[in-house]
Amino acid sequence: MEALFRLIPEKYSAVIKAKLCTERLCEVRIINGAPIRVNYDGVYYYLCGDGLTRDRSAAFNAENNSAEQIVMRACSHSLFTVTDTLRRGYIAATGGVRVGVCGAGVMSGGVLTAVKNFYSVNIRLPHEVVGCAGALAPKLMNGGKIKNALLLSSPGAGKTTMLRDLCRLISDSGYNVLLCDERYEIASVTDGKSALNVGCCTDVISGIDKPRVFEMGIANMSPHVIVTDELFSSDLPYVARASTCGISVIATAHAKNIDELKAKAEYAEIIKSGVFDCYVVLSGPPSRNFTVYDGVV
Amino acid sequence: MGSVFLLFVCAAVGTFCGYLILLSYKRNYSYLDGVCAVISALKQNLSYKKDPVPVVLGGLNISNLQLKKNIQEYISFASGQSLGKEVSRGFLPQETFDSVNELFDSIGASDESTQGARLDALLSKFEKLREAAENKYKGFGGMAVKLGFLIGLAVGVLAL
Repeated sequence: MEALFRLIPEKYSAVIKAKLCTERLCEVRIINGAPIRVNYDGVYYYLCGDGLTRDRSAAFNAENNSAEQIVMRACSHSLFTVTDTLRRGYIAATGGVRVGVCGAGVMSGGVLTAVKNFYSVNIRLPHEVVGCAGALAPKLMNGGKIKNALLLSSPGAGKTTMLRDLCRLISDSGYNVLLCDERYEIASVTDGKSALNVGCCTDVISGIDKPRVFEMGIANMSPHVIVTDELFSSDLPYVARASTCGISVIATAHAKNIDELKAKAEYAEIIKSGVFDCYVVLSGPPSRNFTVYDGVV
Repeated sequence: MGSVFLLFVCAAVGTFCGYLILLSYKRNYSYLDGVCAVISALKQNLSYKKDPVPVVLGGLNISNLQLKKNIQEYISFASGQSLGKEVSRGFLPQETFDSVNELFDSIGASDESTQGARLDALLSKFEKLREAAENKYKGFGGMAVKLGFLIGLAVGVLAL
């Protein structure tokens, strides 16, 4: 949680430390000049001197340049270290904290070159729930072969937390796991060390896009399974290629359920091709259950 | 015997004053030499590792005490431990102090290519300042010691 407290003004962090259970805090959303909102156990509240409130008038109001201050703190006042991720809308801060950033794009010849005039930030906090994938892991590690699986849920329902624990359990079972941690959210590697437990047999590649990781990983690391977060349509050919090389893939995607996934044209093709052996639909808080669907859906 | 001793004391005091002037030139030169080394280290890091500025600065071995203090002040600001970006002036001449503030304002405030160009420009500026400080240190500094000795001696002779 120290990573969060380094980003936000003392006034807010003092209230969070004193009044809230930090384990239940999922997001801090700050818009210049607007009330501060937090996602606490999956529900949005305003942050005020007494902790949480639903009364907007009692909430702390952000300063007019709060977003810029947080962006600069998140990159340790070194914008050149985050130019690429800023263009993709986020900064990977230390401790697995991801800062989503909104602002004005600077275009040059049709290419987004920079982001300026930061308008708002969404500070997302990682949650390590050791053992949360304990019931799911045996279903995916069946008969010595790991199933290709796609974890689905709407944002904030715990896909990354589940994926991290799944990665740990598979890795600790002795499989070579290659973790593609594009946004430093899963292992949160800092100075060559993983801040979160992803297992003893996990190789972590951070900050590199999935196509490159799939290429490098398959060629050099001989993984049994590749674990990655937030699969997009452009990544799907690489998943298909990995599975034809005998490497399992466990990934996540944004979709509330199978029907919503099917409705996305880019996924319809891969569902039809049967690359994924199963789909795991996670339900968000408070139940936090999962349902496993067979690959032929 | 007493007059020889007086002459010796006056010459020693004069030399000591000259030496203090030499030290003031030397520390300014040493500060600027350190700043040039800092900028070179930032440029070098930018070309490959691209570590955040506080990480690069924190890993440097800086001997000049004033520069060490200024770097610490910047690191504590950039790593969120202090709110203001104030840099203490210490013995720095106004021109050097302004340039150092300009340096701390511009590092980390832009993308890689802009940062590289900015560091090049700042390095060239500080190299010029360092050259001027070196000339002062080597030229006037040595002269100040000799002059201090001679003036001290002259004062001693006059006092006899």
